[in-house]
Amino acid sequence: MSIDEMEKKLRPPEIPLKPYLPKVITLASGEKMVVREARREETGTLLGTIYPLIGVPTDFYDIVAVRMYAELLGWYRYRVANEFVIVGAVNGVIAGIVTSRHVSSKLGMSLHTLTIKRGLRVGAQLFAAKMEHHLDDLGEEEVHIVAESPNGFKRWMIEYQLEDRSSQFPEVRHELGGVPTYVLTRKLWEAVRNIKCTGTRPVPEQDLKSAERLIMPSEYPQIPGFKR
Amino acid sequence: MVDFDMYDARAPKIMAYRCLTCGTAYYPAPMVCGKCSARRDPVTGKGWEAFELEGSCELLTWTRVWNLPEGYTKKYLLFGIVQFENGLRASGQLEVEDPKTGMRLNATVRESDERPGNPVNVFVFKE
Amino acid sequence: MPANVGIVGIGHTRFGNSSEYDLADVMAYAASDALQDAEFLERRREIDQVIVGNMASGLFCHQSAVASSLVSRMDMEPVPAELVENGPASGASAIKIGYMAVASGMADIVLVVGGEVMRKVSGWIATDHVATMLHTEAEYNMGLTLPAFGGMFTRLYMEKYGLTERDLALLAVKNHRNGARNTYAHIQLPCTIEAIADGPDAAVVNNYVAEPLRMYSTCPVSDGAAALLLVNMDSPKARDFKKRPVRIAGVASATDTHCVHNRKDPLRLEAVRLAAEKAYRMAGVGPKDISFAELHDAFSILELAISEEVGFFERGKSFLAVRRGETDIGGRLPINTSGGLKAKGHPVGATGVSQAVELVRQLRGEAEEGRQVKNPKYGMSVNFGGFGNNVVALICAKGED
Repeated sequence: MSIDEMEKKLRPPEIPLKPYLPKVITLASGEKMVVREARREETGTLLGTIYPLIGVPTDFYDIVAVRMYAELLGWYRYRVANEFVIVGAVNGVIAGIVTSRHVSSKLGMSLHTLTIKRGLRVGAQLFAAKMEHHLDDLGEEEVHIVAESPNGFKRWMIEYQLEDRSSQFPEVRHELGGVPTYVLTRKLWEAVRNIKCTGTRPVPEQDLKSAERLIMPSEYPQIPGFKR
Repeated sequence: MVDFDMYDARAPKIMAYRCLTCGTAYYPAPMVCGKCSARRDPVTGKGWEAFELEGSCELLTWTRVWNLPEGYTKKYLLFGIVQFENGLRASGQLEVEDPKTGMRLNATVRESDERPGNPVNVFVFKE
Repeated sequence: MPANVGIVGIGHTRFGNSSEYDLADVMAYAASDALQDAEFLERRREIDQVIVGNMASGLFCHQSAVASSLVSRMDMEPVPAELVENGPASGASAIKIGYMAVASGMADIVLVVGGEVMRKVSGWIATDHVATMLHTEAEYNMGLTLPAFGGMFTRLYMEKYGLTERDLALLAVKNHRNGARNTYAHIQLPCTIEAIADGPDAAVVNNYVAEPLRMYSTCPVSDGAAALLLVNMDSPKARDFKKRPVRIAGVASATDTHCVHNRKDPLRLEAVRLAAEKAYRMAGVGPKDISFAELHDAFSILELAISEEVGFFERGKSFLAVRRGETDIGGRLPINTSGGLKAKGHPVGATGVSQAVELVRQLRGEAEEGRQVKNPKYGMSVNFGGFGNNVVALICAKGED
């Protein structure tokens, strides 16, 4: 695509990011979830996956879904810098999506975590994958995190023992506008990595193939009676 | 005169009780002695003697708990059941690098405000 | 035999998340199902006594006197109603008291309902509320919780008998498989041994809760209710009920020391043994006569330890029987055919009644396909209160023709 002068002005400067190497996790049900980075051309599938949840207020799905919808479009249309999107797929069907931003070589900004497949800790696995990419792959020193949902907040704040920087507001201020900002430092990540982050690399051929084409879920536990 | 010592800072203690009629020791204290049926009056304390539960003890079993209840902000806590030399047993927290059943520990007491309401005394068994 | 009590109606909600509903409504739903099952809903004001089992409505729902609320919710005033509380054994204790009401001669028809709504509060708060059953000064204040005692008991058992974490995972696989076929189970998602024990991701997917207990060895936090309609089979009123009743052959309970550290033998569950012995005596049967059982697996270790205390297996050997598949639905002695507390869920006040509902479904031959025990004669349930300091055992027998 040729980029004209105006478009050049509208795009943020990009730092080329190391790719996230796909991994496969065996969920408790025995199903295999391939965790891989999403490609821009898959945006339509991702948006279609999230869209129905915009109307679900329980568990804060509505605000997470609508903000993630914006983040995906921002990424796709080159209006948000250095964003990456990681997806968890079971037999190709999207189980969950996470979005995040590499702000600088030292700093990551965690955006959102959305889970469709419930009861199997998919969200926990994808959140850990996000942190893995920030700290292990992209080499940042710390990641800033906020939460919209109270239970999600406590799960991360207590289980990861995140550093509370809320007292440093407004100097320390998360992009999403949330207060308080909590921080996962390299030291804290190292202390929890082996109990939070798992997965096998490289992904066996047939599992990777199953996740080659992402599929929108046909059922949502959050929306009983949903029909696509 | 007033006993001004009562305002001094005191190291927290956890007490066990001995029935003075038959000599049986208990922790925590019952209201009726299981052995001789002597009653304990918590108001006057007559017929019973309170003594500090402290010192050397053996670790009988332990666990590392990751899902702590409301009020706790630590990632995990170690707990154990110990037996003192006088035969009494107690439960409490552990501050031990590498807990192993059978190891010898020392019972200490600290005050905690992790539980709702007034501060409480907590056993911390240390190496 | 003090009394001839039959169960003529059963009701059970889908255990899970009912936090947006009022506790009395959840209980009324199960109660109405039981009354419809007995074809007695229109005649409910003829019931002599309502007994409700609930542990902590005051803490979880900020409500008290729930037996009274239930009566009005069912529009069945002026039927007498009382609450029975025995921690997580409230349900089975409610059945025991209902039985005693009939045995006393003061009631011929008794409605027993067990219910709990725990999920209006967060998991951390729920853990704290459940911990209030422990000794305040010597246990609760230390930060101890039920999972902590589960973990310590499991460690002792493993060190003495050679039980492994994988053995506990086998129980999760069995119970999830059973629960997946149970319409009322909270969790209907099977899990595999590879995923939760053998595979490379097992350590994270099946994380530690209270070492050595893992997430798949501890039951979920659930909401729900279950109900039974009991009838004095020696009363002429019994003839009004068409369904062949399941007979309560034995019901008994026993207590043990409040503080876990004061148990005579840390690996023994004396209250389980004594309650079971009394129930066997009442029923005139022994462990060998029991066709299947619902054993209180709030922690998977308890399914094993309880099965030994009631005499199904030699001490320390039950997990070997599990490895051989003896406690599977098609096995010699199916245990937790409902999915147990692990998959069926554990709304604490409801569990004892829920276990009894499973006994009745199996004995009537009404269990779902793939979950029905072949020709059961006697079913047993053990409902564990506290951490083993107050236990109720129940034995039900298939009704005679």
